[in-house]
Amino acid sequence: MAANKLASCAAHARNQAILHAKTNSAAAFAHNSDRPSFWPFSQLSTGLSRRFGVLAGCVALFVALAGCRAAPSSTERTGSRPTRGGELLVSVRSEPASFNRHASRDSTTNLVNLLTQARLVRVNQATQVLEPMLAESWTTSADGRRYDVKLREGLSFSDGVPFTAQDVVFSFDAAYDAKNGSVLGDTVTAGGKVLKVEATGEHAVAITFPAPFAPGIRILDSLPILPRHKLEGALQAGTLRKAWGLQTPVAEVVGLGPFVISAYQPGQRLIFARNPRYFEKAPDGTQLPYLDRLIVDVIPDQSAELLRLESAQLDMMTSDISPDAYAPLKRAADAGRVKLLDLGVSRNADGLWMNLKPGAFAGDPRAAWLQRDELRRAISMAVDRQAFADTVFLGAGVPIYGAETPANKVWYWTGTPQTPHDPAAARQLLATIGLTDRDGNGTLEDAAGHPAQFTLITQKGRASLERAATVIREEMKKIGVVVDVVTLDSSQVVQRFLAGRYDAVYYNATKTDLDPGTNQDFWLSSGSAHPWNVEQKTPATEWERQIDELMVRQIASRDEAERKRLYDEVQKIFCEHLPMVFFVAPRVYAASSARVLNVTPSDARPQLLWRPEVVAVAH
Amino acid sequence: MTQYLARRLAFAVVLVATVSSASFVLARLAPGDYVTGTLGGRVSSEVIARERARLGLDKPLAEQYRDWAAAALRLDFGQSMLYDRPVGDLIPERAANTAILAFAALAMATVIGLPLGIVTGARRGGALAATIRTVSLVLVSMPPLLTSLALVFIAARTGWFPIAGMRSSTAADEDVLFDILRHLVVPALAIALPLAAALERLQAQSMSETIGQPFVLAAAARGLPRGRVVWRGALKAALRPIAAMYGLMIGTLLSGSFAVEVITAWPGLGTLMLQALRARDIYLIAGCAGAGALFLALGTMVSDVALAVVDPRASEPGTRVEAAA
Repeated sequence: MAANKLASCAAHARNQAILHAKTNSAAAFAHNSDRPSFWPFSQLSTGLSRRFGVLAGCVALFVALAGCRAAPSSTERTGSRPTRGGELLVSVRSEPASFNRHASRDSTTNLVNLLTQARLVRVNQATQVLEPMLAESWTTSADGRRYDVKLREGLSFSDGVPFTAQDVVFSFDAAYDAKNGSVLGDTVTAGGKVLKVEATGEHAVAITFPAPFAPGIRILDSLPILPRHKLEGALQAGTLRKAWGLQTPVAEVVGLGPFVISAYQPGQRLIFARNPRYFEKAPDGTQLPYLDRLIVDVIPDQSAELLRLESAQLDMMTSDISPDAYAPLKRAADAGRVKLLDLGVSRNADGLWMNLKPGAFAGDPRAAWLQRDELRRAISMAVDRQAFADTVFLGAGVPIYGAETPANKVWYWTGTPQTPHDPAAARQLLATIGLTDRDGNGTLEDAAGHPAQFTLITQKGRASLERAATVIREEMKKIGVVVDVVTLDSSQVVQRFLAGRYDAVYYNATKTDLDPGTNQDFWLSSGSAHPWNVEQKTPATEWERQIDELMVRQIASRDEAERKRLYDEVQKIFCEHLPMVFFVAPRVYAASSARVLNVTPSDARPQLLWRPEVVAVAH
Repeated sequence: MTQYLARRLAFAVVLVATVSSASFVLARLAPGDYVTGTLGGRVSSEVIARERARLGLDKPLAEQYRDWAAAALRLDFGQSMLYDRPVGDLIPERAANTAILAFAALAMATVIGLPLGIVTGARRGGALAATIRTVSLVLVSMPPLLTSLALVFIAARTGWFPIAGMRSSTAADEDVLFDILRHLVVPALAIALPLAAALERLQAQSMSETIGQPFVLAAAARGLPRGRVVWRGALKAALRPIAAMYGLMIGTLLSGSFAVEVITAWPGLGTLMLQALRARDIYLIAGCAGAGALFLALGTMVSDVALAVVDPRASEPGTRVEAAA
């Protein structure tokens, strides 16, 4: 036990050092990184993770054994300089729901959109800088509300029809039209209001925001510019979401993106070919994209994906690599069969929140303490974050204490107080809200003798969430609070918290973008992703009112320093009241075959393919 | 025989209707739905309500079921929420792939299992029979999931066969059949090996019992060669209980192949069902479950008909199939 503790401390210190070194280089290759010395096998010896460890071990064994064979080399290597030609084979876990981004939010539909369509602007996922794409340049009015955008001239869709400002106006109409109900409608609004877009020339548009909005046209990174000549009829008929379904002949799906769909084999794969009319060129003048073909295979199972990657039957996975898969991939990387990339700390972390809706526990004897700040602070103190990282992410995680992770280098509040792991202090804090062990049975009770007990809901089938809920249960048991863990399908979890029928939830809080201005739905009390008490008509608490006020100012300000100061203040209030308790942010890894060249990794999905036009292969 | 066939067809219709209805109702009754599952917690309640209304999920269960059942009578099984396509279009293309896999596995299992069963059933002892019996016991106790993982591992290690999918992206049109056959090896073997072991055990048991029958002993006593006695005389009688099992095997092949399809990325009903369950697509869940029930019903019917042809007593009312054995 003591040895494990020592090993854990040493590993923690080493991980901290590694993290510090690596935050400056998210794209560092993971085979240069280190791991806790006991990882992953000590996990098998802990009671919390035994069954997960056995499962992981089985998969790892298969993958590791499969990797014993040297990867066949069917291609002649041409060095590390990207050249045109070759094909890339990537995998997805499920088919796209549609070829039309307005119809679905799923990750494969998003990938299809990324490959086949272009946007006005692009957020560089590695640097977070806004870059022009179809927009050549833009100017902003003095009040920051109007953007005059000059579009690139001489561009054509993949079917040869010229691109004009009318296509831009059409694309906004497609997103906003209520009759069609695009899933993108909400993502291109400012404060819930639509933008006004008008063509001011053949290749110029004016975009006007309803109010000053600091993130500005950054939000347009999510809006594909679609061919009006192909989809206008569907928009007028109110059938846009049915357009470009999977039964559509692939030649009908045209775009301004680097690839076109050349074949779709239901349930198996999508094949993309180079769009000969794509507009971007490499710095050396090479016409992009580099690849001739990009093949997307549907492989529902991660172990099969890993086996294919290791045996050179796959170049890249688009889904996240689970902690269990790290060890075999590391060995394969050390043997030179794959490239394993450490992308640093994730920008998103899972968190725990209690139901803070006023009246949610009316008539329940636990109402006196379940919604108190002290309970959440006690939870934060009771959980050993390093043990959490070791058990849940097999060491590949970093303790966090607030809503932002260190991955958000611009907006992370460096003054975030680091709650110590202190079970005794947690018990003292709970005593201040009337929870003490009155009958000496080790469980805390309230003044009326009711046990301190609540139910924690999390998603079934996601190992990291299930493991985390188990860790929380065990840590809370040590301070005398009984936590009953219930696992449900993701749709059930969402429905329960939207309906306010729960005690506590442990789930993911994915952010739209690193700029907090794009995450108003999380921060504002009226927001739909304000999970502890969604869509409030008026702020239920004083501190939520303060956050609302600060965020409204933060979103409207054009002074970046002022925005940072205001957001630091928001994070400070958040840490004081902890409406969501965060424990650990996982590290993100990506893997590719050794022949993949010129990728710029990002911690956001698709990590290696967010700029597909510049990816190349040795051939 | 016509009446018998009519009875079996009626049973098949009732089975499919019951299974798909039960799946529909259970999937609909479970908390959460397609909208909350796909839109998550990041859209407003108005958007969620609008989507529910668009998909008809805001209707009471009874009304939704009535509409679906009425449409199903016209062979309209609803629109998949996930793919925005008619379920009636999605199921056949995937069911065909599952059928290819199932029949390939059945053929492999038959070719491997039956002869080995005859060999072990006709011999009282010996190293060969003992070895076959041991291997069979190991294989029969291995779930297809584990078999498929092991075979995928071997395929990855040796590079002999593709690990996943049904077609190569590079295969020329004229090579389609060969390409599919190569991709079929791993998933079909994963299903076939436990099945072949089961067939071997059944066939061995049946052969062992038949060998002791007076007519076999009489034939042997008349001096007929042992091979002829076993492979011509005893085999026909020993095959009857196996024939009765085939229908059930065809049906269970579908459910058994779900896990294998997922591991080997075979684009069949299993992977479609998995996507439907993940997305809570109730119409697609009901369709996949109904297709599974149809497989089972048709498999049973084909087997019963085959048995009735071999032994007419089986098709007489009140006669149990087992009695024919």
